[in-house]
Order: sequence, then C-alpha cells, then structure tokens
Amino acid sequence: MSAADPRASRARGVIALLEQNCTVCMLCVRECPDWCIEIDSHTVTLPADETHRRPRTEAVLDRFAIDFGLCMYCGICVEVCPFDALHWSPVAEYAATSSAGLVHERDRLSSWEPTVPAPPALDLHAAVDDPGPRRATGRS
Amino acid sequence: MLDRPVSLPTPRVGQPPERGPIRLDLSWGGRDWTVWMVDVGLACCSVEVMAAALGSGASREAGELVHADPGAPVDVLVVSGTCTDVLAPAVRRLWKSLPAPTRVVSFGACSNTGGPYWDSYSVTKGIDQVLPVDVYVPGCPPRPQALLQALSLIDDAGAMP
Amino acid sequence: MSTLASAVAAAVAGATMHEGFGPVTVDVPRERWRDGLAAAQTAGATFFDLLTAYDDAPAGLAVVVHLATPHLRDHLLVRTVVPDAIRELDTATGVYRGAAWHERETHEMFGIDFVGNARLDPLLLGADLGAAPLRKDFVLAARAARAWPGEKDPSDQGGRPRRRTVPPGVPTDWPEAGS
Repeated sequence: MSAADPRASRARGVIALLEQNCTVCMLCVRECPDWCIEIDSHTVTLPADETHRRPRTEAVLDRFAIDFGLCMYCGICVEVCPFDALHWSPVAEYAATSSAGLVHERDRLSSWEPTVPAPPALDLHAAVDDPGPRRATGRS
Repeated sequence: MLDRPVSLPTPRVGQPPERGPIRLDLSWGGRDWTVWMVDVGLACCSVEVMAAALGSGASREAGELVHADPGAPVDVLVVSGTCTDVLAPAVRRLWKSLPAPTRVVSFGACSNTGGPYWDSYSVTKGIDQVLPVDVYVPGCPPRPQALLQALSLIDDAGAMP
Repeated sequence: MSTLASAVAAAVAGATMHEGFGPVTVDVPRERWRDGLAAAQTAGATFFDLLTAYDDAPAGLAVVVHLATPHLRDHLLVRTVVPDAIRELDTATGVYRGAAWHERETHEMFGIDFVGNARLDPLLLGADLGAAPLRKDFVLAARAARAWPGEKDPSDQGGRPRRRTVPPGVPTDWPEAGS
C-alpha cells in the first residue's frame, strides 16, 4: 500500500462477495466454524426454451450476510467456495458503533469487490505479457 | 518500526497502577488529535493495541509508551482480548472506577461477541454484556490501523477533546 | 522400542505398551497408578511435563501423564482409565510434586478426585458452572440452542427447513427453543 502502511495484498481485512458467481451451494455457510454466514434463498423454475429442452430449477440468492463481529478470519469460506464468489480484501478499517453494524449484508459485501487485489501471477518468473496456460482445443 | 526491546510495566494484582493512561497521538482521515487510553489487554488482541500505541506520534519518537500520571483523566477504555465470565466483574469494576464520559472500544472478535469462543462454557459473549460499548472493531486480531479508524469514529461523535 | 517404556511396562503387573502418534504409551491399571509413575521415575524419567485427562467414553476418563528423561533424550506417556462409576485416582504428587497444579486443573475440568491431593480448589472456572465442562456429557449449550445457518437449503423456498441437520458434535436431543 505505502511505505507507512506496508500491508501485503494478501492481507485478510474483509471478505468480498462476487454475487454473479454465487450458486447458493451453501458450502461456505456449512463450513464456517463460527456459524457467522447466513444465506436465505429460494428456487425458481425456468421453462424449456431453444437451448434447454427441459425446464430447470435455479437457486436465487435473497440474503447473504456475514457477521464480522463473530468472524475469526480463518478463510475457510473463501477457500471452500467452488465458484470463487468470496475473496479477501486487505481493507481492515470498518469499525462500527453497534454490534449490528458489523453484520454486512450482500450489498455491502459486494461493495468490497473493487478493493480485492488482482491475484498473483501464476508463475513469479513469467513474462509480463504471458498469456497463461493454453486452453485445451481437443486436438493433439 | 522499533528495532530494540521496549520496557513495559509489569502488572501486579491489588496494587495501584504505577503509570496512568497511555498517550496516543493519532493521525487519521486528514486530522490529528490526542487520546489518553487505558487498554484492558486480556489476550492476543492487546498485542495489536500495543503496536498501535508504540507506532503513534509521541510514543514512536520516545521509543516507548508515553504515560500520564496515575489518576489522570482517561478518554478511552479499550477492551482487547477474550473476557471470561470469572474475569468480567473485574473489567466492569475497572470501567466503573473511571469517571464519565470514558468511551469504550471493544477491540477484536472475542470482546465484540465472544468471537470463536462464543460457544464456550467460560467466555463472556461480548464485553457489551457487562458494560456499554461505543465502538466495535472487527478483526481477529484487528490491525493497528483499525484502532485508529475506530477512535476517529469517537472523535466524529464529538466526545473527544 | 523405547527402553524406558519397556522398563516401566515390565515393572508393573498388568501394564501394556502401545506405540501411537508421538511417544510410547504405557497403560497401567488404575490400582497400580502410583507404582507405574514410581517405576517410570526409577527408570530415569525424572522430568514431569504434564498431567491431563480426556473422556474415553464409555470406558471412562483416561488420565495421561507425560514424562521425560533429563535433556529429553527419551519420553513416554503413562495412562490409566478411571471408570465413570469411581471417578477417583491416587494423586501423583507423592512421586512428582509438580503434578499438584495439573491435578487441580484436571479435577476442575473433569471431576476426578485425586486422593491425597488436599489442594483441589477451583482454579479457572466460576462456582456456578456446576459441572465438569470437558466431559463428553457436558452439552455445548450455545450450539444446541442456536439454529445452524447451514440447515437451510434453497429448495426450502424460504420456509422452515425440511430436515433438522446439524454439524457433527452438536447435540440433537435437546428440546427446541421455546417448546
């Protein structure tokens, strides 16, 4: 960050939610040792259309809340999410004047996303414009 | 950052304190102000409070904590660490011994809600069970900068000189 | 094989030896507890590290002592099982004075009476707890009383969860709050 605040970009300050990735699998809720994540949701049935021959159900997120008063910043929820919907942000300054003010609902959790640093390079010695691993094309 | 050992007073049970509140010279959000704080250092969070105190203004220049005399006015009581049910009455007694309007900062998950020990048979589920808290600082432990931001919230409320 | 542990197992009738994780464990019958500790001390384990217990239900409470030789060249665990119906064990302080504090804590947390140790006063817990909290039959009340957020499923449609599931270790035989 700066010479006066040499905070590592991997510092665990607050957890950000990338809502478009969340499929409401509930894994983060179940694995949190402190029970500080609460999710409310419901399912909708989408009818068959040109690309889907059969109707299908999809989970819709109603409420996603993390109680940072309970959170011990273990990172299990971030690690276990199969869809990378939760990310660490190094921002640590969000004290509140009430206990309820430490419960971040989905809008506030989503608002931390811009503060999430870019992931480290795949290979520390890679060239700057390395495109990364090649996508499999099905051909040898 | 300090590169030599710092002498910290040894607490003794039942004795009146040898030193008074700790001076914090703070700079946050474009303004500077001074706070006199007492830290109830119950567990690991107190290390971060110490880091905040040793990194601030006058203490950083002196290379050690700057204390007022015992009995000097206290602006902020910081509760940092896990409070057990057996210890809670002592913390409350300490808070009651300070003249109003001492503000209370709950620093860290354990003093906010009991934190990872919320299900324990011996832990008080948040220091706000025994005394009123003005600011809650999340973290396990919170960064020293989080304490500065929390104290700026108190300053916003106009309670600080 | 540890010669220290072999010497202790040989000296005490009814003792058995187990190699598990870490140091070798010598199990002695409850009546031979003092003999087992004295044999270990005679065999060279003069350094007393700790005495603690764990709830080995349904056999009872297992009391474990960790001992070592000077300069920690060798070490072992000496263990015995105290059945729930008895809850008594000879004090180790006759052999190792340092066990006094450990027995005081183990008494408070597990409810074992160490016969011969006169200073089993409460150490860490308030008097109103009323039970030994580290026994398996001490219910973790907070987790039993609070609804587990992971119980919900999107297919519940926002209503009450269809099945009552809890993570492992949380008691399910408590009455629902408010009933």
